[in-house]
Amino acid sequence: MPSLSVPTTSALPANHRIPATSPSVFKALQRLARPSLISVVLHWLHDDVQEICPPYLRPESDEEDEQDLYPACSNLKRLRELYRLMQERNGGKREVVDRVLEGDWRHGITLYQLALIDMQYLYDHPTSQKWTALKIIRLSSDDVEDGDRPKEQKSMTLPRLHPATFLQNLRKEAPPDVKAYYNIDRHGRLPLTILRMFIMESPYNTERVFSASSRATLDSSKHFYVAFPDNSPYVYVSLTTSTGAKTPRGSRSIRQTILEGIPKAFSRPRERYGLESTNLSAKNLEALVERRGGLRTNAAGGGWGVYADGNKNDTPLNHSLSADGDNSGESETDVEPRTFGLKRKPDEVRAIVKRRKLLAKGRFGNSGLIDDGKGIEQFDVRIQDPFFSDRAASPVQDEHRSSDQAEKGSKGRRSTIDQALAHEAMDLDEDEDTAWRPEVTVSFHGSHVFAGIRQWVESGAIKAEKMPGWMTGEEGVSIGVVRDGRIKGFKGSRV
Amino acid sequence: MISATAHDASSQQLDREISSLKAQIAALKAQRSTQTSNIISSRASLSILNRLRAPPPKSMSTVKSLDDSLRDDTPLHTALLSNATRQEARNLECLYRACAAVTTFKGHDPDPKAVDHGNFLGIRIEVGSTGKFIRPYYIMLNKPYPSNALLRIHRHTVPPCIALDTLAHRYLPEPKVSGSTILKEKKQDLPRFVRAIRKEIVAYHNRITSIKHLRKQFKLDENVSSKGKERERVIVDISAADAEALQLRMEWVDGRIGRCLVDGRGAVKKCAIVGDDGRDRETERRVVGGDKRMETIGTRLMEGIY
Repeated sequence: MPSLSVPTTSALPANHRIPATSPSVFKALQRLARPSLISVVLHWLHDDVQEICPPYLRPESDEEDEQDLYPACSNLKRLRELYRLMQERNGGKREVVDRVLEGDWRHGITLYQLALIDMQYLYDHPTSQKWTALKIIRLSSDDVEDGDRPKEQKSMTLPRLHPATFLQNLRKEAPPDVKAYYNIDRHGRLPLTILRMFIMESPYNTERVFSASSRATLDSSKHFYVAFPDNSPYVYVSLTTSTGAKTPRGSRSIRQTILEGIPKAFSRPRERYGLESTNLSAKNLEALVERRGGLRTNAAGGGWGVYADGNKNDTPLNHSLSADGDNSGESETDVEPRTFGLKRKPDEVRAIVKRRKLLAKGRFGNSGLIDDGKGIEQFDVRIQDPFFSDRAASPVQDEHRSSDQAEKGSKGRRSTIDQALAHEAMDLDEDEDTAWRPEVTVSFHGSHVFAGIRQWVESGAIKAEKMPGWMTGEEGVSIGVVRDGRIKGFKGSRV
Repeated sequence: MISATAHDASSQQLDREISSLKAQIAALKAQRSTQTSNIISSRASLSILNRLRAPPPKSMSTVKSLDDSLRDDTPLHTALLSNATRQEARNLECLYRACAAVTTFKGHDPDPKAVDHGNFLGIRIEVGSTGKFIRPYYIMLNKPYPSNALLRIHRHTVPPCIALDTLAHRYLPEPKVSGSTILKEKKQDLPRFVRAIRKEIVAYHNRITSIKHLRKQFKLDENVSSKGKERERVIVDISAADAEALQLRMEWVDGRIGRCLVDGRGAVKKCAIVGDDGRDRETERRVVGGDKRMETIGTRLMEGIY
């Protein structure tokens, strides 16, 4: 370690060690399940990564220390064998954590190791982060005179992510009093490249900053994830998940700086990019990939998904009549319908249930199924239809009054939602008539909001024919303003 | 413990059996529907159906003709006739789709609040890839402005790597609106839009296909383990480097890395190959030379190597 710390602008190197005694390191390790922890440790012991996360090895000449609770091994091979044995037998998680922190990595966990732990946690708990989808738009190179914001320029190509260049540019955008460690990884199942940033407020990039005030610097709110879906003009940015009170005041501005840095890092001379909100945020990455990914499903949500799914029968060479994805006969699982205490014949009830299911299929297509794993957990709309001008709209509002009221109990998070909605509604408020438009905000919460609505339709709580389109999730937004029964703003699935 | 694993094994086997049976059922059903449509559209059955449809000959007595018409009204016959009509329509649709590549259809948006009472115009773009029709791309257009025929893209299934947005901006510009009145109308050109978007889609698929072909030519997707091959592997990787497949990434065994730019039509524009000792000009010339097509890069490289 150099004796002198000089402020620099370079990034944190991967092999900087954080003391193993630091509580946040312990916490990070403790969060993982035993099998994933061991698989991560085995990855640390690969020959390729020995430069950035070497374990503590006993020199050949030294003898084994009897006092040591976890005697250090003398070579990598034995250490690997040891953890492989641990993998095979059952045991507690604590045993592995202690072995790592007090035994084989007693001299500290490097930043690279910490990054791997966090990424593994992200893969094991896909809903641990809340992601916001942003669109990367090409800014026009013309002069910006008619307004403060540069206009979008339509281009024929998408911004291309070249990780090394992107990181190099992003580093330049980081303020000099902040040091970050960047780690890029591929998602195992989804077509995503995930960048993890570990941000530390210090002008120095030496190891001393960790030992000095490890508690303050290793705050969890300074982890920042950016996911880049393949072949698409979107990025997903993780929000800080820490609770409001504990967040240091600076972290929001750091986040802002990095957000501004992302489009700049994409930019090249004569090719500038900016970020634009897409009104979609969710915890589920799979849902985001479907609605803002690089595939066909972006602008064909809800019932329109039948045009985008992988139905192989939809070719001109298939002449059979039932080819158009009409497999409703096969999906009949014949669940015994509940009669709800009505004096109806079971046949009649079955027919009604079947009809409702068909209607729900017509509106939702193959989306909104409870087990499809593409659920978004929150959906807010502000309804701005004029009062009594349109009778068809009012029963829908009535039906959700209960859910709206139920939601009002949790006031903590309303403010940000209100802000976003107000921002959305702003450009609509300017013109228009003087009809009284009551402010009704409907908020849906749950593990899979649109599957819930589909179940309402299937159970008859909502009439499928009268349900407005935004309730099927086909707009692909999680926040929006409804006017004339449609989500406004042309941002949803509009091209 | 042992019983549990045994139980697991047996349940797994049952699951496998169930899934294989289900697959069999699906295959049989598909076969049945193919046979049905084949039978119903065959010439012999069509002539039978025509006879059923035709009015009974006049020489028959009135009582008999009454009898005949009764027979015609049996549910089986009506179903058969309606099926035959649907099949005929379907055959015609398939014929158009196979020959015309771009077809349109009308549809109805189930959303009760949709603009223009939910009517939309669907455009279906058929694409072929390696000798097969793949899932067509759909673009749904609606008329959002009352008393005006201006179109707007409502939903579509075109992936973002095809610049639908830009082309729509160019050929289907939106009018300037204030409230619900149109201030300034811009001319829209649907045929040119469709032509442009189809060209983009087909060109994209051609590029993807030729990359696939290159990979096949250099046997990149096969296992390396088989020994005794007369040709050693020289190229490690050829893949698209960007979403639109306008850039090719090539990697050689000896560590040389190449980037090749092609234009929308698949003509090679530029190429740079860098190895440990600088640019490899000879291979670059080989890639860019010849007929300058990306399909034939493989052949030109092969000539240089072997």
